[in-house]
Amino acid sequence: MNIYAYIFRRLLYVIPVILGVCAIIFLIFNVVAPDPALIILGKHATAEQVVEIRQQLGLNKPMLSQYFDIVRSAFTFDFGRSWSTKQEISEMIKAGAVPSATLSFPAFFISTILGISISLLVAFYRGSMFDKVTVVGCVTLMSVSSLAYILFGQWFFAYKLGWFEISGYDYGFPYFIPYILLPAIIWVMLSVGPDVRFYRTIMLDEIYQDYIRTARAKGLSERVILFKHVLKNAMIPIITYVVIQIPFLILGALLLESFFSIPGLGSITLNAINSSDFPVIRAMTVLSAVAYIIFSVITDVLYTLVDPRVRLS
Amino acid sequence: MAEKILEVKDLVVEFRTDRGRVTAVNGVNFDVHKGRTIGIVGESGSGKSVSALSIMRLIPNPPGEITGGKILYRGEDLLNKPIEAMRTIRGNKIAMIFQEPMTSLNPVFTVGNQIEEVLKLHQPELSKAQRLEKSIEQLKLVGIPSPDKRIHEYPHQLSGGMRQRVMIAMSLACEPDILIADEPTTALDVTIQAQILELMKKLQTELGMGIIMITHDLGVVAETCDDVAVMYCGQIVERADVKTLFSSPKHPYTKGLMESIPSFDSTLGKKRDRLPTIEGMVPSLFDLPSGCNFQDRCKYVDDKCRGSQGDPQLEEAASGHSVRCFHPLNA
Ligand SMILES: Nc1ncnc2c1ncn2[C@@H]1O[C@H](COP(=O)(O)OP(=O)(O)OP(=O)(O)O)[C@@H](O)[C@H]1O
Ligand code: SF4
Ligand SMILES: [Mg+2]
Repeated sequence: MNIYAYIFRRLLYVIPVILGVCAIIFLIFNVVAPDPALIILGKHATAEQVVEIRQQLGLNKPMLSQYFDIVRSAFTFDFGRSWSTKQEISEMIKAGAVPSATLSFPAFFISTILGISISLLVAFYRGSMFDKVTVVGCVTLMSVSSLAYILFGQWFFAYKLGWFEISGYDYGFPYFIPYILLPAIIWVMLSVGPDVRFYRTIMLDEIYQDYIRTARAKGLSERVILFKHVLKNAMIPIITYVVIQIPFLILGALLLESFFSIPGLGSITLNAINSSDFPVIRAMTVLSAVAYIIFSVITDVLYTLVDPRVRLS
Repeated sequence: MAEKILEVKDLVVEFRTDRGRVTAVNGVNFDVHKGRTIGIVGESGSGKSVSALSIMRLIPNPPGEITGGKILYRGEDLLNKPIEAMRTIRGNKIAMIFQEPMTSLNPVFTVGNQIEEVLKLHQPELSKAQRLEKSIEQLKLVGIPSPDKRIHEYPHQLSGGMRQRVMIAMSLACEPDILIADEPTTALDVTIQAQILELMKKLQTELGMGIIMITHDLGVVAETCDDVAVMYCGQIVERADVKTLFSSPKHPYTKGLMESIPSFDSTLGKKRDRLPTIEGMVPSLFDLPSGCNFQDRCKYVDDKCRGSQGDPQLEEAASGHSVRCFHPLNA
């Protein structure tokens, strides 16, 4: 099948999925959640006040039109204004995306490369002392709370030793680098454990396949077997794992951004939650859903490039 | 007798498991001759695959380890070779095909790529074009129609029989001295099975390699083998040329195997039982009885068999016919 036809067909599937996801978001925000007007005004609001604010917020519109507002926003990214800052939400997102991306993408890139490399080494030396030490190390890194890394890092490396900025952000390359260094390192420390464990499982899974035995019987060296036969097969699950994390990168890191005062999407979301800023929370939810859907399409397309069984069926 | 190219001598292979050590192969001896086929038969778990993998030095370690014996290939002990030297033999001088044609080829590379890979490794003097040409020739040799197209296909586009043909093409690409076939047809249906065996026989006449044919199936042995070794609990219990073995089996186990299959004739076109059944159970490798391993299933058992005079040894009962039994049968 033609790859472009496939992509086109896959994109058509996106439309009903987005309609469905928007329906769920609509239900959560308009039916399950308490009346936002009451949240804003508090318990002792008068009836007139409630009517007025409901009108302002568009809550008096018919249900169906409120639903289509959400659907429309999923395509136009016009989410209206924030209740608390009164800013255009799409502008807030644009402003927040940059600091988030400057932290999350380098950190994610490094931890992914590191995770895959370590797991290849571990697969090569499977069962050895190196393998065991690495697994124990991963579990240890994972068992420490992220808060501990953040607080210790800020207190010791930034405050005591003065190696990094404690918090804050500066726009533009290379000015942001000193600010993202420490949170990026902590990010890598937090994710390398689960990454290595996941990739190691995948690699070991491949190593015991029949076709790897065939490759050995052909006389290939372990190095060629690992880098050619194992890695190409392992790419299939690795791609899913990597690509499906990207939408979450776009939303920024909630904890890291707020502790390091990085004005990214994570901070924006956290502030919105703290101030019950429903339009912003909803915008972030829609944004993440759309990003998730788009990247699952990308995963499928990448699959077809790696796996002939998918490509040719 | 044809030239002897491989001698397996007193091979011992042990596995370390959660329940302790097991000796999966315990003192196995057999020879492979140029242009001849030796069959290794036996029930599941009798150590056939482990013996075969040992020749390739492909026993997974851990948990397995070759702890004794020699494997002499043209007089040189393969077990003493550095692993790099072993790699120049694998796939080149000694090749192997497996029971699982569906999973033995790498799903993400084309058939051509996988055949060319073995040529590139062992015949680096060939140019890219020559490799491609030779790979197509190999596919033609194993009877794959329109090989110039098939070469660009992926394993999943081929049937099980076709994949096993590809495996054979790949294993014979460097014209090995020895082909080890570990139940090459067990996973295939009967007509395809007959075709593959036919093909292997034909290629053997053309290329003159020695074949080690591992199987559950005495019918396959009768059709393809010149010599046979019967394995039980990691040991060879009887060894002879195929005619002698079928006309006068001396070990009660061999006799039992033969009686339990209705017919050796594969042309009947019905699926044979994968496992001929003999009453009783194979003893666990973890607690083998003293004396003969077959004693619990043997109707000729006596005190001697139960270990009063040690374990039975593989002894020559007639010229070229060895048996491990205190009371060998007379035909
Ligand atoms: N990877 C392993 N780990 C532990 N024990 C093993 C392993 N491989 C083989 N063994 C042991 O070796 C014994 C012989 O196994 P082998 O695979 O040679 O049997 P087989 O005769 O080829 O049987 P089958 O007909 O089922 O293929 C098994 O019963 C098992 O106890
Ligand atoms: S040694 Fe005894 S028990 Fe074993 S096969 Fe021979 S007769 Fe039977
Ligand atoms: Mg086997």
